[in-house]
Amino acid sequence: MVNAIKGIFISCDVPMAQFIVNMNASLPASQKFIVHILDSTHMFVQPHVVEMIRSKIAEFREQNTYEKPA
Amino acid sequence: MVGRPRTGRRRKRTLGNRNRREQERDRKVGVGVLTQGEREANKRDFTKLELKVDHSNRPLWACADGRIFLETFSPLYKQAYDFLIAIAEPVCRPESMHEYNLTPHSLYAAVSVGLETETIINVLNKLSKTKLPKEMIDFIHGSTANYGKVKLVLKKNRYFIESPFPEVLKTLLKDDVISKGRISLEVSSFLYYLAHLTDHILSKTPGEMDTHSGLLDGADLAAAAEEKETHSFEIDPAQVENVKQRCLPNALNYPMLEEYDFRNDTVNPDLNMELKPQAQPRPYQEKSLSKMFGNGRARSGIIVLPCGAGKSLVGVSAACRIKKSCLCLATNAVSVDQWAFQFKLWSTIRDDQICRFTSDNKEKFRGNAGVVVTTYNMVAFGGKRSEDSEKIIEEIRNREWGLLLMDEVHVVPAHMFRKVISITKSHCKLGLTATLVREDERITDLNFLIGPKLYEANWLDLVKGGFIANVQCAEVWCPMTKEFFAEYLKKENSQKKQALYVMNPNKFRACEFLIRFHEQQRGDKIIVFADNLFALTAYAMKLRKPMIYGATSHQERTRILQAFKHSPDVNTIFLSKVGDNSIDIPEANVIIQISSHAGSRRQEAQRLGRILRAKGRLQDRMAGGKEEYNAFFYSLVSTDTQALYFVSHFVKFLCFLTEMYYSTKRQQFLIDQGYSFKVITSLPPPDTGPELSYYHLNEQLDLLNKVLNAGDDAVGLEQLDEDADDIALLKARRSVGSMSALSGASGMVYMEYNTGHGKKTAQGQTKAKQKDPSKRHALFKKRFG
Repeated sequence: MVNAIKGIFISCDVPMAQFIVNMNASLPASQKFIVHILDSTHMFVQPHVVEMIRSKIAEFREQNTYEKPA
Repeated sequence: MVGRPRTGRRRKRTLGNRNRREQERDRKVGVGVLTQGEREANKRDFTKLELKVDHSNRPLWACADGRIFLETFSPLYKQAYDFLIAIAEPVCRPESMHEYNLTPHSLYAAVSVGLETETIINVLNKLSKTKLPKEMIDFIHGSTANYGKVKLVLKKNRYFIESPFPEVLKTLLKDDVISKGRISLEVSSFLYYLAHLTDHILSKTPGEMDTHSGLLDGADLAAAAEEKETHSFEIDPAQVENVKQRCLPNALNYPMLEEYDFRNDTVNPDLNMELKPQAQPRPYQEKSLSKMFGNGRARSGIIVLPCGAGKSLVGVSAACRIKKSCLCLATNAVSVDQWAFQFKLWSTIRDDQICRFTSDNKEKFRGNAGVVVTTYNMVAFGGKRSEDSEKIIEEIRNREWGLLLMDEVHVVPAHMFRKVISITKSHCKLGLTATLVREDERITDLNFLIGPKLYEANWLDLVKGGFIANVQCAEVWCPMTKEFFAEYLKKENSQKKQALYVMNPNKFRACEFLIRFHEQQRGDKIIVFADNLFALTAYAMKLRKPMIYGATSHQERTRILQAFKHSPDVNTIFLSKVGDNSIDIPEANVIIQISSHAGSRRQEAQRLGRILRAKGRLQDRMAGGKEEYNAFFYSLVSTDTQALYFVSHFVKFLCFLTEMYYSTKRQQFLIDQGYSFKVITSLPPPDTGPELSYYHLNEQLDLLNKVLNAGDDAVGLEQLDEDADDIALLKARRSVGSMSALSGASGMVYMEYNTGHGKKTAQGQTKAKQKDPSKRHALFKKRFG
C-alpha cells in the first residue's frame, strides 16, 4: 500500500535549511512540520507552514541587517 | 570613464535620492500628498531656467534650492572646485558630477576666509550655466549679511573687537554683556591705533595669497582688499567667553572671527623652529595652509583631509609659521608619540623644546617656548591628579599658547572641547580631521568653538594624484557550514554565537586563501585583525603566523613588528584590538578583518589609514598607472549571522568616510559613487581542495568541538585595560564595558595605580584587572574613590 502525503518541497541554501530544521526542533512534537529531510539543501514539509517559514526567515534576516537610524 | 553619456544618469540618481529624502521629511511634517506633489514638481521643474549662450564653457548648474552641480570634466573644474569648496558643503562627489549645497555654515566659512557677499555672487554667476536664481542670491545675502562683520583680534595680548562697519559695533555696544566687557574708550583706542598702524604697514608686504587663475582673481582680490578702515574697541580678557557667546546666531547674530596677528606679537616669546628642507608640502597641503594664513594673520578653523593624506605635516607647518608655543592635542597616547615624532621629523625643533604629557610620560616643560603634545583627556580631566601632572597642567593653564593644534576634532565629545578650550588660552586654534561628520551632530559647536572649515580635500582627487592609495574594499561573504550554523542557531549557544561565526571553516579557508594569494602572487604585507581573541589565537596557530594581543610582552611586540617591517619572511601578522590604541600599527597594504565588532569609527579609520598611505613609485600610483589598486581592505563575514549587521555598519562607515549616504542597495550605490567596493561570494574558489585547511568534514567537526568546549570567557571579546587616554565614541561602541567606562570615568584612572598592566601570564586572564571602585580597599577608596 502506498502512502501519499501532500506537502511542499523546499530548496534552499545550507544555512537556511539548518534554520528551518532548528525551527522545527524548537516546536512541540504535535506541531513539527518537516516530513523528510532529503539532503543538506532540500526538504519536504507540510503545506500549511510555508507562510510561517517565510515570515520567520524574513524576521531573522531583519535582525541581521543594519538599518540607518532615521 | 569620464564622459557625457554617464553624467546624465548619475545626476538623475542624485536627484532621485534627494527626492526620497525630501518625501520622507515631508511625510514627517505632515505635508499633504497633493501639495507635496505640486511642490516637488515646482522644485524640479527647471525648464524656465535660461541657459547662457556660452553655457558649454561654464561648469556649474545652480538651483534655486541651494544645490549646485559641478561637472568635473570641465576645463574650469579645478578653479570651480576650489571656489565651491570654500562656499558650499559637498554632498556627494562621484567621478563626473559633484553635488554641493549652500548652507549658512558653509557661507560663514566662506566669509571667514575673506570672501565677500558680492564676490561670492559674482563668481557663482560667472561659473553658472544659467542665470543665478533670485532665491539663491537672496539666500547668500541673507546668510552672509552678519557673518564676518566682526572680528575678535588678539594683539599684544589684548582682545579687540574690530569691524569695518561702525554701525555694527554700535549695535554690539548697546548690548549689556558686551558693554560691560568693554575697556574704557580713551586708553584702548590709542593703544589700538598704535597696534593697527604697525599692522597696516605690514599688510602692505606681499601676503601669502594663493594664485588661482582667471575667473577667481576676484575672490582673491576681495581677500586682499580686506584691509580697509577698521573700527574697534577693546574688551576685557576675562569677558571674552561671554562676549563671544552673545555674538552667536542665537543671540545678537554677529558671529566673530578669530584671528591672530602672530608677527606683531612681541609679548609671547618666539619659538625657533623651521620646516626642514626635505619637508615639501603637497599642493593640497599648501592650499590648506594658505587658507589659514590668507592675510598674514592666523585664522582659527578646521582643515579636513582624508586619513593618510598628511594631516600632521599641515599641523607642523602651521606651528612652524606661527613660531610660538604650541599645544598639540591628540586622542590617545600612541598618537601623542606619533605627533611628537612628526614634529621632530619635519621641523628643526630641538629635543628639549618638545615634550609629551601623557599618563605614562610626563616630561617636564623647560624654556620659555616650546611644543607640548598631550591628549584631550589629560587636559580636560577634572578629578584629582598626581603631583607631577598637577604641576604640568598648571603650566599649560597659565601659559599663553600661540597655536592650539587639535587632532581628530570630530571624535572628541563636545563638552570635552568646551573644557579644553576654556582651560587653555590660545591665540589661534587649528582643528584637523578626516571628516566633518560627527557622531553627535555637533558640527555647529565645532563651527563656533574652533572656527569654520577652512579647507576640505576631495578624496578621489587625492587618489588620482597618487597622494593616497587606491583602496579596493571588499566584503567577502562566507556561507556558514551546516554543522556550525546548526550550533549557531541553538539557544544554549547564544554566548558563543560570535565565536561560531568567526570560526566558520569557510571563513577560515577564505582568509587562508587571501593570505596565500597576496603573499605569493603580489608580495604584499598583510595585517589580519580579529577582535575575538579565541579566533585570533586559533587562526594564528593554524596558519603559523606571528600575532600580537594584549598579553604579548613589549619585547615580543617590538621583535614581531621589526620582523614584519624589515624581514622578507614575515609578511603577515595577526593583531587584536590592542593594535588600535597601544601600538603604532605598522604600514601594510592589505588588511583582512576576520571579526570586527563595529566599534568606533575612529578605530576603523585608523585601520584604513594604515593602508591609505600611498606606497610604491608615484607613476605607478597615478591614474592610469601600472597598478589599478595598490591597497586592499577585506572584511570577511559569515552570511546569515549577526556578523552581517556589523559589516553593514562597516559599509556605513565607508560611506561616512567618503561622504556618501548609506543605502541598502549599497554595492551598486558605492560603485556609482566612484568608490570601488565589491562583494565577493566565491572565496576560496570552488576548485581549491585540501591545500587549504579544514577541507575535510572531520577537521571541521574537530574545530567545532574546540569552539564548543572552550569556556565562555575565552570566546568573548578581548578585554583590554582601558587606555587612560582613549576617547571613545560612546554611541557607536559595542564593547562590553562598565557604566563608568561609558561615562568616561574609568579613563581617569592613572597609570601609576595600574601597575598590573601588560603582565598577564595565561590567555584566560584577559579580563580587565579589578578596577571597580566598590571593591577597593577602604583606604584607597578614600583617596581615589
